[in-house]
Amino acid sequence: MITTEIAIIGGGPAGLSAAISAASLGAKVAILERDGRLGGQLIKQTHKFFGSEKQYASTRGFDIAKILEEEMEKYKDKIDIYTNATVLGLYEDGVLTIEHNKKYMKMKPEKIIVATGASEKFLSFPNNDLPGIYGAGAVQTLMNEYGVKPGNNVLMVGAGNIGLIVSYQLMQAGVRVKAIIDAAPQIGGYLVHASKVRRAGVPILVSHTIKRAHGKESVEGATIWQLDERWQPIEGTEKYLDVDVICISVGLSPLTEFLWQAGCEMKYIPELGGHVAIRDENLETSVNGIFIAGDVAGVEEASSAMVEGRLAGICAANSLGYGDDRFEELRRDYTEQLKSLRSGPVGAKIVSGLSKVTVKKQFA
Amino acid sequence: MTKTASVVIIGGGISGCAIAYNLAKKGVKDVVVVERSYLTSGATGRCGAGIRTQWGTERNCKLAKFSVDFFENANEILGYKRDIEFKQGGYLIVAATEKEVEQFKKNVELQNSLGIPSKYLSPQEAKEIVPHLDETKILGATFCELDGHLNPFHTTEAFAQAAERLGVEIMTFTEVVGIDVEGDKIKGVHTTKGYISTPIVVNAAGGYCRQIGDMVNVDIPTYSERHQILVTEPVEPMQEPMVMGFSLNIYTQQVPHGSFLIGRGDPTEPKDLRITSSWQFMEKMAKTACDLLPALGKLAVVRQWAGLYNMTADAQPIYGPVKEVEGFYLAVGFSGHGFMLGPATGQIMAEIILGEPTTIDVSDLDKDRFARGELVLEPSVV
Amino acid sequence: MIEKTGVPTKEDIEEITPPKEIREKQAVAVIECYKEIPCNPCYTACKFGAIKEFEDINDRPEIIYEKCVACGQCVIKCPGLAIFIIDETYSETEATVQIPYEYLPLPKEGDYVTALDRAGRPVCRAKVVKVRKGKHPNMTSTVTMAVPKEHSMTVRSLNLEDYFADNTIICRCEGITLGEIRQLISEGYTTIDEIKRISRAGMGPCQGRTCRHLIMQEIRNATGQNMEDMLMPTFRQPTKPVKLGLFVGGEGDD
Repeated sequence: MITTEIAIIGGGPAGLSAAISAASLGAKVAILERDGRLGGQLIKQTHKFFGSEKQYASTRGFDIAKILEEEMEKYKDKIDIYTNATVLGLYEDGVLTIEHNKKYMKMKPEKIIVATGASEKFLSFPNNDLPGIYGAGAVQTLMNEYGVKPGNNVLMVGAGNIGLIVSYQLMQAGVRVKAIIDAAPQIGGYLVHASKVRRAGVPILVSHTIKRAHGKESVEGATIWQLDERWQPIEGTEKYLDVDVICISVGLSPLTEFLWQAGCEMKYIPELGGHVAIRDENLETSVNGIFIAGDVAGVEEASSAMVEGRLAGICAANSLGYGDDRFEELRRDYTEQLKSLRSGPVGAKIVSGLSKVTVKKQFA
Repeated sequence: MTKTASVVIIGGGISGCAIAYNLAKKGVKDVVVVERSYLTSGATGRCGAGIRTQWGTERNCKLAKFSVDFFENANEILGYKRDIEFKQGGYLIVAATEKEVEQFKKNVELQNSLGIPSKYLSPQEAKEIVPHLDETKILGATFCELDGHLNPFHTTEAFAQAAERLGVEIMTFTEVVGIDVEGDKIKGVHTTKGYISTPIVVNAAGGYCRQIGDMVNVDIPTYSERHQILVTEPVEPMQEPMVMGFSLNIYTQQVPHGSFLIGRGDPTEPKDLRITSSWQFMEKMAKTACDLLPALGKLAVVRQWAGLYNMTADAQPIYGPVKEVEGFYLAVGFSGHGFMLGPATGQIMAEIILGEPTTIDVSDLDKDRFARGELVLEPSVV
Repeated sequence: MIEKTGVPTKEDIEEITPPKEIREKQAVAVIECYKEIPCNPCYTACKFGAIKEFEDINDRPEIIYEKCVACGQCVIKCPGLAIFIIDETYSETEATVQIPYEYLPLPKEGDYVTALDRAGRPVCRAKVVKVRKGKHPNMTSTVTMAVPKEHSMTVRSLNLEDYFADNTIICRCEGITLGEIRQLISEGYTTIDEIKRISRAGMGPCQGRTCRHLIMQEIRNATGQNMEDMLMPTFRQPTKPVKLGLFVGGEGDD
């Protein structure tokens, strides 16, 4: 059984940031990443990030992953990295069972930071099991990691940030995006992303949804239709689109299995993407010693995920007695950064969601 | 909201639903089943759901035989529109010690005398029935083709729906919070959905039966113990019978859907109401299973879970009324066999409550046998 | 409004809605003839005297519910296709709506279709329980659909395509369709756990990551439960399928 001070489940933006900040205060950290490389979804992000300098604004996602990895180099004696390491279970006694490079191992950490991210939501419509229907994440992996085009003509379902960005990336890869549709009456993503694809000639149809996919062996087309103000489909508004790929990007839900397994108190918060854990201002859950950071704590942007990671990292380290001299100052800084990232109209929804699950810290 | 019932049954598992069905079938009106969550949410929905006639005592053989006979025709008898998925692939019970060999031979003799067609097999003969068995790990085995397993959710639903058609009211998501006793007689039951006035309460609350007993100040001599199971991905049919070993501590079956259910008991398991899972189980179970049935090592585990056995000192149920409170009946302490005994439990409890002679004599399975020191030991349990 | 849209208003509909006591007791014709026109075949078709004698051919028909036996003659005869039979006694939860239908092909009994409202908007899924084909090709046929009781006065048309397509796969691991989930919900299995136990949806290797949310939505749509109040099943270890041999150490090599 391996022991460590802090185990971090997930090596994406939140997890890596948590590792750096915890190690910078002196804690011994282990990162458990199920993929073969670190960086999580950052690796697939070819667009420039928003936010401010502290969250690497204007830098492209895959470059941010590199920056974080370089920063980790500074603390390499403090950070153990396990890639190809899938955590199989978080048990009642705090033990993690892990499949690491196809071998079985166990880890007993003193604290755990869960930074597992989110998974894509699906949509039900006739023929939704035809090959050629992908989640947006899979499309990004195909294009940006493996350099494979998913097809030639795409219908994008979902006009949130991910739908808009992936549409843009598809066009950059030479794929035609026939339309971006969204059931909501307005575009959910940043309008600058929307304008970027709109001026390239892609129609964005709000109040539209997919009626069915067509095809025998794989996708050959799709029928979409319009929704009225009560979100009911309107007869006679059907349009047929000649596409070979349907990309579903209708939102993310937090990947919370470990938190359920650990017995954390959970609550359904639609603004945050689904069930999330009740937490205090230090991102500690109702189960002592289990912290959360990133999309698992509530779906938002990678910039906030990284700051949450930093915050969870120092809080976990400080709960082990590290960094007393710098802790309060860092905590204030990260809390301020989060506040400013969530300050605009876009952040209002997140703030409202967070207010329902954040409780005052009760120091033991 | 006050209502009146002739019998209130606490617990919506196989026992509670089967008792309700049998009472209603015998013409009892106003039977109410109270379940604090949904039907099968307790041990019934978590169990291995096997049924075997290969027991070491005459009565257990008879109870089990009664249940097998019932299950064979349960879809028709209960008028169930789905399928209880009863598959009679037999039980192969393996002996790994000389003591077991001796006991098993005695068991077969007893079983045959009661019309149960079990037989004793050599390790090689056992391997013919289960080709992926490592026969070098066993000294012998017994096999009975009558045995098998079924789907616990559908079986309980079948009883519940048949009971409802006969007028039984099933209240789910309703928790019993207190029981009124006047003098030494049951008066009624307080639930989260109102009061039910009744002269008879049947405690079929499985792992939680002691909490119900406490409500009428009756100390029930059982304890709850966590038992765990794992399930694999579905694969092509490769194992007909349930394979079970007492000293080897394993039972495993391939359900009709294709998955393998694999479980074991462990004396070090917590004896409280915890139903969390443990990695220790996963490791020990994997070792036992791969040792006896090496091919299982290649199957992917999809999920592990736990449920509660309600144990007694002699691993036999407690059936019948209690001396302390008139109208308070027990169907508890099944020690891991409550599901398979379900049909018999339903029949016998209905008979006891109505004062009829019982189909199978269970008069010595009363609560006070432990105080009297008259335990009824069963040699063949996991 | 109906003059502009062809769709009767709420008030129009209220006026022709049979009283609750009648609907609870018997199947009955509902005459949706909102404007006076010179026309009376409904009156002449009724052998039971359930439609009041017309004083003037322009009169709007008036029904005497007590005399109506829901034979459907007026439905077939009405040139305006304005008469429907609703039967709220059909079952505990469902009502039937019989509509005149003059399109080809006719649906088949047992088919599932999409029930539409007076504006042609999809309302719900409906099972075709009876198709009465006209004796001659030029006679009006009727189609009787079973719909949830609360839609008896809403559903007035159908589309053969099953928008609420029940063959849509919800649980990919176990191949469970939306229809199966809906059937279970309608039978009273209204928690994710019960649906899982009866149908296996969510029992597969993904442990419900794909289907759980979709099932929650269906439960919400059918029962009005809030998602936040739903009883959640537990996530179990392991989080991904791994070979049993792995836990012994060394055996799970691929």
